[in-house]
Amino acid sequence: MTAMLLNPLRILLRLLERLWLVVALFAIWWFASANSTSVYFPALSRIWDALRRGVTDGTIRSDLAYSLTNIVIGILLATVVGAAVGIAVGELEGLRRVLDPFLQFARSVPQSALIPIVIGALGIGQAPKIYMIAFACVWPVLLNAIDGVRAIAPEVRDMAKAYRIPRRLWLRRMVLPAAMPQIMAGIRVALAVGVVVMVVSEIFSATEGIGHFINNAGSVFDIPSAWAGTLIVGALGYVLSVAFVLVEKATLGWYFKSAGTASGAARLRTRGKAAK
Amino acid sequence: MTTVENLDLLDERRARHALAVEGLSKAYGEGADAVRILEDLDVRVDPNEIVCIVGPSGVGKTTLLRCLAGLLAPTAGTVTFGTDRMTGPISQVGVVFQDYSRSLLPWMRTGENVAFPLQGKGMRRAERHALAQQCLSAVGLPDAGRKYPWQLSGGMQQRAAIARALAYQSEVLLMDEPFASVDAQTRFDLEDLVLDLRKRLGISVVVVTHDIDEAVYLADRVVVLSGHPATVVDVVDVPFGQDRDQIQTKAEPAFTEARARILGRIRH
Repeated sequence: MTAMLLNPLRILLRLLERLWLVVALFAIWWFASANSTSVYFPALSRIWDALRRGVTDGTIRSDLAYSLTNIVIGILLATVVGAAVGIAVGELEGLRRVLDPFLQFARSVPQSALIPIVIGALGIGQAPKIYMIAFACVWPVLLNAIDGVRAIAPEVRDMAKAYRIPRRLWLRRMVLPAAMPQIMAGIRVALAVGVVVMVVSEIFSATEGIGHFINNAGSVFDIPSAWAGTLIVGALGYVLSVAFVLVEKATLGWYFKSAGTASGAARLRTRGKAAK
Repeated sequence: MTTVENLDLLDERRARHALAVEGLSKAYGEGADAVRILEDLDVRVDPNEIVCIVGPSGVGKTTLLRCLAGLLAPTAGTVTFGTDRMTGPISQVGVVFQDYSRSLLPWMRTGENVAFPLQGKGMRRAERHALAQQCLSAVGLPDAGRKYPWQLSGGMQQRAAIARALAYQSEVLLMDEPFASVDAQTRFDLEDLVLDLRKRLGISVVVVTHDIDEAVYLADRVVVLSGHPATVVDVVDVPFGQDRDQIQTKAEPAFTEARARILGRIRH
């Protein structure tokens, strides 16, 4: 009974704990900027007006939908390709030796630098932007997947051999779950990379998207709208990371719950190393 | 202590074949740099027999066990199961690894862990889960199937690993230092479980251990390895039959005698 009564209260307290600083900072910003005459640092009240205008006339909503579609498809594409290729490369010693220098090279290329080339080659449509996001996001997933596979204990391989686990079953029920914590850590990194590439890809010759909204507002000196767009991008990043945590908890339940045990703690340490 | 019920699916575990190595040698590396680990070993495990392999650490006990399991190809000599020469792992020979916390998969419930190798054999889902449940009951874990391995104690995890080997239709269990990382009381319980399973299911068991007391308590024969490269320096027959008791058996003069003889051979 007490637990049932306490629960809503506890959730409320948690929420407050998370939100008070955000609320306080916005309040400070609101009052400190109230009399601002600067063109580039307008009063928060004007930014708020711009945001409301954008939302009610639908421009921000459609731009946001466009951007969100791009980043979600891009990340999904990167996850599937990164995990599949990463597992293959992690499993095949020979392939890894051949590909390693290329992987290190490709991941060192600043992803945003490729955007003009890709848009030049593939045009200004939606698909090239998705490819760009996927291409940028695939590296952290791929490299983490390789590390995850290589970290599989020799005892686990012995077990699979002694019990003659067929290859497909080995990949699906043993390698994939074993590498999953690292793959998830890779996706977390990819999320941050993806938001940056999403915005930048919409600044170059785009007609839609939140990046286009910001760029457009800036070029006609509607600075409050540019700020509003920037805040939207921040909120989008936050919402994506919350959604990611929910997905992670759902897929890696065993991993987090076993963390309290000695063997689970050892696993957490190895993942911490690989994620860097 | 542990009772085995419902033997209908477990019935076929009764060992019918001998597992043997003849003239087995194993070396790592080649040519002049080769490190010879095992030299010309003959070891035979008859049906329904418990054989313990003892020796100082680093002598090559685990290497011998891996050869018996088909996990490691010998440099010379043969491994035979019945009349067939073994070239790789076979389903009649199940392995229980030392490090249960790694060999049981943390993302599967204990029951799934036990049933999982059967999926590779193409057994239907309902059938393999029924068999898994039976094997878990046989090792004294009737209620652990829905729990994750990391929710179980060390001794219970090792029991689950034994259940997995049983479920995999094995008539010979190979155990590599199986009780090295559990406390003394649990160790005694698990030793009695091994004796109990041998008696009730008729399986053969090979136990690698560095603990001479454990070897004498469990074994019908103790194979003593020593030297670099290791050879069989002694084979000690232990005359206690299938029924043993932690206190009485260990108090018998024959126990002390066997123990002293093995210790003497290892120290030389």
